[in-house]
Amino acid sequence: MSNFNIDSKKNQTYDAIVIGSGISGGWAAKELTGKGLRTLVLERGREVKHVTDYPTTMKQPWEFEHRGQLPKEIIDANPIVSKCYAFYEGSEHFFVKDAEHPYVQEKPFDWIRGYQTGGKSLMWARQTQRWSEFDFEGPARDGFAVDWPIRYADLAPWYSYVEKFAGIAGNKDGLPNLPDGEFLPPHEMTCVDKHFSKEVAKHYNDRHIIIGRAAHLTKPNKIHYDQGRGTCQNRTICERGCPFGGYFSSNSSTLPWAAKTGKMTLRPHSVVHSIIYDEQKKKATGVRVIDANTKQMTEYYARIIFVNAAAINSNLILLNSTSNRFPNGLGNDSGVLGKYIAFHNYRATIHAEYEGFLDSTTDGKNPNAAYVPRFRNVYKQETDFLRGYAAGFYSNRYQYEDRNGLGEDLKKNLLNPKYSGAWSVNSHMMGETIPKESNYVKLDKTLVDPWGVPQLRINVDYDDNDVKMTKDFFEQFKEMFTKAGFTNIQTHDTNRTPGLDIHEMGGARMGKDPKTSILNKWNALHQCKNVFVTDGASMTSTSTQNPSLTYMALTARAADYAVKEMRKGNL
Amino acid sequence: MQRRSAIKNIALTIGGAIVLPSWANAWNRESVQHSRLISPSQDALLAEIVETIIPKTNTPGAKELNIHQFTTKMVTDCYDKNAQGIFTKGFDLIDKNAKNAFSKSFMDCDAKQRLEVLDKMSKSENSDEKNFVGLVKNLTIQGYLNSEYVMTNLRIFEFAPAHFYGCVPVKK
Repeated sequence: MSNFNIDSKKNQTYDAIVIGSGISGGWAAKELTGKGLRTLVLERGREVKHVTDYPTTMKQPWEFEHRGQLPKEIIDANPIVSKCYAFYEGSEHFFVKDAEHPYVQEKPFDWIRGYQTGGKSLMWARQTQRWSEFDFEGPARDGFAVDWPIRYADLAPWYSYVEKFAGIAGNKDGLPNLPDGEFLPPHEMTCVDKHFSKEVAKHYNDRHIIIGRAAHLTKPNKIHYDQGRGTCQNRTICERGCPFGGYFSSNSSTLPWAAKTGKMTLRPHSVVHSIIYDEQKKKATGVRVIDANTKQMTEYYARIIFVNAAAINSNLILLNSTSNRFPNGLGNDSGVLGKYIAFHNYRATIHAEYEGFLDSTTDGKNPNAAYVPRFRNVYKQETDFLRGYAAGFYSNRYQYEDRNGLGEDLKKNLLNPKYSGAWSVNSHMMGETIPKESNYVKLDKTLVDPWGVPQLRINVDYDDNDVKMTKDFFEQFKEMFTKAGFTNIQTHDTNRTPGLDIHEMGGARMGKDPKTSILNKWNALHQCKNVFVTDGASMTSTSTQNPSLTYMALTARAADYAVKEMRKGNL
Repeated sequence: MQRRSAIKNIALTIGGAIVLPSWANAWNRESVQHSRLISPSQDALLAEIVETIIPKTNTPGAKELNIHQFTTKMVTDCYDKNAQGIFTKGFDLIDKNAKNAFSKSFMDCDAKQRLEVLDKMSKSENSDEKNFVGLVKNLTIQGYLNSEYVMTNLRIFEFAPAHFYGCVPVKK
């Protein structure tokens, strides 16, 4: 019997454990297996294999029973996830339904989740901008949160490293506030995008309209073909999963790469309950896993643990990892864990028309759009609010059918669509929010989820800074739109609930001081140095960039450090 | 998915000798008949209503493309009780209007008379009449424009264009 126990413990022991297989977990798996570590990747959801498990990817519009619309029964049962722009008949199977994983909203928070191999990397928006020095310096300069323990120079080589592998389409714009990367050829801007860019440059020397930087293979390199990926076909139905591997996802890229080493064990249906802390060894020794189907608990052991469960679930796991040494959650002597959650303010949209270029249109489909890097408060504080916003910018010449009448007249009109009398132009803001102690997640004392893990209580809200920033976005974009000759300008404050940006960050922030932060400059817990958190939970501040590229770079950097430390015998 | 693969399997088993109607890919009579929202005779009436909205010319009309079944499926699955009420009440209103104007049922009217009935109802002060025609017309247009026949034969549709050009001349 004792021999059996030893064997079973041996069978459940790996060099490394990665919790989560999404965008950062996939990178952890690739890096750790690539460095020769036998790695267990734990995914709480079902297995989704590249191509074969994308059931809707080849479906034509008419093949959907409801032409893409979801039945009322599903929408009524899922008021939260139904708000997500990417949730429809072609993609609903990749989203967590509201009832599946309950949580308590102390304040309204739309928690959008994807529990399957690849996590949300299957349905993400694929925008990938680097942070700049101005972003890392933000908290120290403006006196909020804590100082980032790293600067742009620390991350720059790792941005290059992940960009080359993932494949990022972009233009070298030479902007100090949005550093260039290792780009594949950029997507095209429309004539109205270019017009806007030119007009804005005429009137403002610090504002730029550029083509977005996006994780699409516009022209694959050998490294991408080696992954089994090919050129993006501009289908713009990415959220169904891409059979060409045209955009980056864990499923198409990092996970198959890790699997090829023969060092990865991917275990689906594995809900991590907590991390095991050994008080003698003063480090983590493994994780407790609940099988999602049998509800049985199993322990797995490893020398290092990467926590990549997605920002809020990574907080949940650390908070639930209690021991005599850490009664308030792993590495949480400071009491900071779960606090200083922040997100991106997507509340503001602006719409207008442009009556130029009426002899021009676009052709094909665009998986990307134009982008306006942050221009507010970059070099110095200049407004009555802290920080600033970036913005997406879209222009298109749409076609419409005259739908008046009945019978043959109607039919003729439907089959002869007309070009709109003006281009439609739209922009939306992506504002930095300031991390605050009062924006937190914590464990409920009594409620548990279907796996017996405490439910989270989420308390995250906008503040006065966000309101002022929203107002400024409207003013500045109205002014820029007017100068570009756009007409019929309409602004809209959607008042949308935090969470729907799907950019929630923080809770286990990086910092220099263990008294005010959870993670050190290598994304390791200050107080438990063989546990690394490299997803959104680690973010000290949010800046305005779409965050995934930064998670990839942080993960690759932390994995490199972890393996070096292991080999030195320090972990 | 199951039904679809079943149909495909049948086609394979008999050596592809049957030609599947295009709409069998997405929905067919069998899947719609489970709807308890309307009766078979109302289904037949709806087929003539959608055909009146988008008639057969030198290309198929809405009836041939089975848009009436799509309409019922959408109202059944995607619309609320209020819209479902407007939908089910509408069939009697159609016949009432036909009888008032032409002293016969809608089914017995000719194409021109049917068009007149729908046109009058679409401008009616009775909101049930107006909303019924509006609801069915919108769904007919949606189903028609997104049908395989129209998308692949009558409009430009590229599933995988493999390009995006930001600025090209409008084709005259």
